[in-house]
Amino acid sequence: MPEATQLDQTYHYVLETIVARGQAPHYTEIARNFSIAPDEGKRMLQELMAAGLPNWLHPGTDLIASVAPFNNLPTHYRVTVEGEQKWFAQCGLEALAISWLFPGKTVEIDAPCLASGEALHVSMRDGVIEREDPSGLHLYFNIPFRKWRDNLPFA
Amino acid sequence: MNLFRSKEHARNWSEFEAGTEDGIIPLQDGAEIMSTPRHSQRLGGRAVSTAAEHAPAFFAKLREVTNNSPFWAPPTA
Repeated sequence: MPEATQLDQTYHYVLETIVARGQAPHYTEIARNFSIAPDEGKRMLQELMAAGLPNWLHPGTDLIASVAPFNNLPTHYRVTVEGEQKWFAQCGLEALAISWLFPGKTVEIDAPCLASGEALHVSMRDGVIEREDPSGLHLYFNIPFRKWRDNLPFA
Repeated sequence: MNLFRSKEHARNWSEFEAGTEDGIIPLQDGAEIMSTPRHSQRLGGRAVSTAAEHAPAFFAKLREVTNNSPFWAPPTA
């Protein structure tokens, strides 16, 4: 297997930091993790955000706004693991990918229905839906998939 | 992509767009779409460098789950 690239390592550090504490790292933390200067950490973060994955910075800043499947700003997709609610999903679809990052644990997703405001709940473990309440939940997006990248934060 | 109580709730949403009915999918289909290595191996250590090689399986799953709906066709470039 080929060795991980620097982009792989940066991504891995950012994602595992969010998994561990519910918040994305600042670029100075990236720098500290790799024992490099802060500006190098910033450059690595900027390169990661330009890699074509569904991740982005707050406009005009070097602050992480979103790294799929998580959002670093609160969204209406609250995620709880082992009784701790400290994560937010990027969107309803990405919420369904979060359990892969917590192997063997039940991931609880709570969100309101945007049409009725009704509380919705999904429990997943290792990619499998264990419970949906109420039953019959659906996902919806009003832009064709091929156009999602035109405005990822909206998508 | 948002979560709704039911298909009817999605259709009744104020931001529902006519002609995008294929954009409504059951929760289980969403879980299947997010089940390929592109999403399940994000913490595998090589998520960036394997993104291109994982894309075909993801797109194939999308086509399978959505019955080849043009709404879910991947970008051409």
